[in-house]
Amino acid sequence: MDLFERVEKRRFLGRELLLFLWFETELLEATLSTRATGAFGLWIEKEIALSAGKEITRIRGALPAQAREAKESLLLGKMPERMGFRLVRGEREASFVLRGDTLGLSSVTLPSVLEDEEPPALLDGPPAPRKRKPRERSVEAELEQAEVAAQESFFERMHLLREVEEVVEHLYADFLTLRLGPAYGAFVASTIRAWAEGKAPDADAYTARKKAALGPAPKSPRVKQG
Amino acid sequence: MSLFRGSLSYVRFFVTGDLPEAFADGALAAIQRKVQRPLEPDDDELERCGWCKVGEPFGLELEHMDVFYNEYLNLGFRTDRWAIPSALLKAKVAEAEAAYLTKKGRERLSRKEKTELKELVAKRLRRGLAPVVRAHDVSWALGESTVRFFGSSPRAHAAFVDLFEKTFALKLVQEAPYTLAARLGLSRAQESEWQAAEATSLAREER
Repeated sequence: MDLFERVEKRRFLGRELLLFLWFETELLEATLSTRATGAFGLWIEKEIALSAGKEITRIRGALPAQAREAKESLLLGKMPERMGFRLVRGEREASFVLRGDTLGLSSVTLPSVLEDEEPPALLDGPPAPRKRKPRERSVEAELEQAEVAAQESFFERMHLLREVEEVVEHLYADFLTLRLGPAYGAFVASTIRAWAEGKAPDADAYTARKKAALGPAPKSPRVKQG
Repeated sequence: MSLFRGSLSYVRFFVTGDLPEAFADGALAAIQRKVQRPLEPDDDELERCGWCKVGEPFGLELEHMDVFYNEYLNLGFRTDRWAIPSALLKAKVAEAEAAYLTKKGRERLSRKEKTELKELVAKRLRRGLAPVVRAHDVSWALGESTVRFFGSSPRAHAAFVDLFEKTFALKLVQEAPYTLAARLGLSRAQESEWQAAEATSLAREER
């Protein structure tokens, strides 16, 4: 199998990642974890699109995966092609749409971390010192400052974006370990099928088997450069 | 789809191969050689791509500080394209054909004459129009060998890859389930499972 075939003929594994995330976000009540990251919040929001060939079902809403036609579509043979997610990690929240065929992210909204320079006034605190009127700056100085602010904002956005990407990559790495190993045939596929059919799989038993199948976290970062 | 504000929609590409030594100096010169040359009405090309400053489609003088943001290389990928409204072109071509036939005292035009007239009319119309300019932000995280292209059109992706590879003499691979898996590192057993994998279907079996 050449590179083209490995890329083009196995794009369905990206859709299966979406299915897996949908299944886990429901079974584990939106608290997921990976070997590398620890626990974080992840749930499906805003949109989900499922398709088989040219037949597409698009569902929009606050919790689209809970719509009746979502799982109905799965049982008709459709697979998720695009899903909106909300990710909550510590105090940071981000949302994004993940596409199965490309694993590309779109509509990524990032938390804003750069704080305003001024802390909020305390209701019971001492009166804040009076502010001096800022000295007027030249247009050139203003432009320079705007450029510095734009650069700072860029670095912050890239840092936060990388955090989102890393979570997706870790989820994918764990999914691949299960999907391309004996665990998939042993219990993952059957648990997903039971969930899709409306049964209630045992979340604790699934988690324990999954943990055993995944093994310890890789010792070094797995992403290869170049 | 901007790099600097709003929500982000992009496609990732992975750079294959190592960066040469003194990359920054060579890269800037290479970028400057491929800066966008705005389309002129008499140009033969109907579409042209080139680099511009990130976030500034008309910023075509690129210096080191415009491009290098610490460990990132940021650029704008600009495409200029002539877009003449087809109804206008059709009407003007019909006018020109009628005038030409009257002048020549003939009833029909050859195929070659038709093509030449159309080309002439299009060129004249282009003099009164401005080309459509589109720009996409591009951010290359040099340390991660990852390029993010902020745009969703597959046509733009192909043109971007072509310009990138011509500029930097490095290959780009678009992110896909397999390319990301390979980047994350597949063992030999996983690689073989990948090749044998069959799509999961949850379709209810017909009884």
